[in-house]
Amino acid sequence: MKVTVCIGSSCHLKGSRTVVERLKELIEQHGLGDKVELAGTFCMGNCQKDVCVTVNDAVFSIVPEEVDSFFETEVLAHL
Amino acid sequence: MSLLFADIGIQSMNKYGEQLCGDHVDVLEQADDSTVIVLADGLGSGVKASILSTLTSKIISTMMAAGLSIEECVQTIADTLPISSVSRVGYSTFTLIHLVENREAEIFEYDNPHVILLRGGKHYHLPKAEQVIGDKTIYRSRVALQENDLFIAMSDGCTHAGIGIDKRFGWERDDIIAYLVSLYDPDFSAKTWATILLEECKNLYRFKPGDDTTICAIRMRRHEAVNVLFGPPAVHDDADRMISLFLEQEGRHVVCGGTTASLVADYLGVELRPSLTYDDPDIPPTAEMEGVDLVTEGVITVNRVLTYAKDYLQDNESYVKWGYKNDGASLLSRMMFEDATDIRFFVGRAMNPAHQNPSLPINFSIKMQLVIELNEALKKMGKRVQVTYF
Repeated sequence: MKVTVCIGSSCHLKGSRTVVERLKELIEQHGLGDKVELAGTFCMGNCQKDVCVTVNDAVFSIVPEEVDSFFETEVLAHL
Repeated sequence: MSLLFADIGIQSMNKYGEQLCGDHVDVLEQADDSTVIVLADGLGSGVKASILSTLTSKIISTMMAAGLSIEECVQTIADTLPISSVSRVGYSTFTLIHLVENREAEIFEYDNPHVILLRGGKHYHLPKAEQVIGDKTIYRSRVALQENDLFIAMSDGCTHAGIGIDKRFGWERDDIIAYLVSLYDPDFSAKTWATILLEECKNLYRFKPGDDTTICAIRMRRHEAVNVLFGPPAVHDDADRMISLFLEQEGRHVVCGGTTASLVADYLGVELRPSLTYDDPDIPPTAEMEGVDLVTEGVITVNRVLTYAKDYLQDNESYVKWGYKNDGASLLSRMMFEDATDIRFFVGRAMNPAHQNPSLPINFSIKMQLVIELNEALKKMGKRVQVTYF
């Protein structure tokens, strides 16, 4: 599974660093380093929304506070 | 164009308790890569010294620039400077360095500590000829310039540092030379050299300078270009033209902005690989791409570079950040402030949809303003800057 977080200007200002760092922690805590690949990307054209994250081909828009629940429903549940 | 470029760095501190510096450095760039640099030290300290040294350096540099001889300049100084009603002397000592087409240096010295030249990291003795003009003895030297020549001109506040504290006779010229040789690194910028010496003077004075102290460092280096592509072009069809023009320039290549970087990656047919490392929490990560030396995010990164640039021109306190860190803004700052002599900006004027969100503090006019301010700051650092808009 590939999880990609937008690190472009807009998403950065909306908190993509927090999202990236929390996802890194969660992946490590669950020992998923070999199953989940975390990557960065520049602008995906969804700047009007919250931080843009994709899981494989599905696009999500999340705020930093939602990372944990996002991880459970969209990452853990699909492994 | 000469192969060499003069990197000039100046640092001063005031005599303890004074509001004004009695030393003054004037740098006047002439056509064909020639430069006149005058470091003048006005008698005494405070307002009077400041006026004397400013007058002296301005008069000399303006006259020299107009092609008048050194004899005429010195004669003019002797005739025009106001005379102190107390000491009956009215003058300012000076060091004049004339870089002729960046091929040769002509140096004229009147009563300042002699200019130091390090060549290849070793002390190079400058042969001097004595010349009496009016009642003043002037020393002249002439030397053909070589890459990595480092000239240090200073006011006597530097050689007097530490008198009566740790040094009986102050920081003597030979000791300064030994200090420079021991620290020598061909990659240090002129600004860094001036800062290093001034800091040591400050320490020797125990932070209470007994005199105005000024260092002017001149480092001869080869031209090094950095090309910066910033933003997609206003007309989408211009992208290929803009990118090919950018890439064909000699020197290093930096792409600022994610959207812009994606365009370049498409053009080159290579993969753009953003990293997820935050060396500075406020600066978005950089990315890697074959064929380009550095890829950073756009506005946030460039805005930070501008902050560093403004500080560099003041007290340079943020050097402890950008001098070592590996976030995009620090890497770009080092490349532009330290490595580059010539900087070419290729600025795209597309409205980025990413920036039109009204809740975000970035927009198109801010980006254009950033380019203008950064351009000005880099020019003040002595860089040659060229901006092309698309």
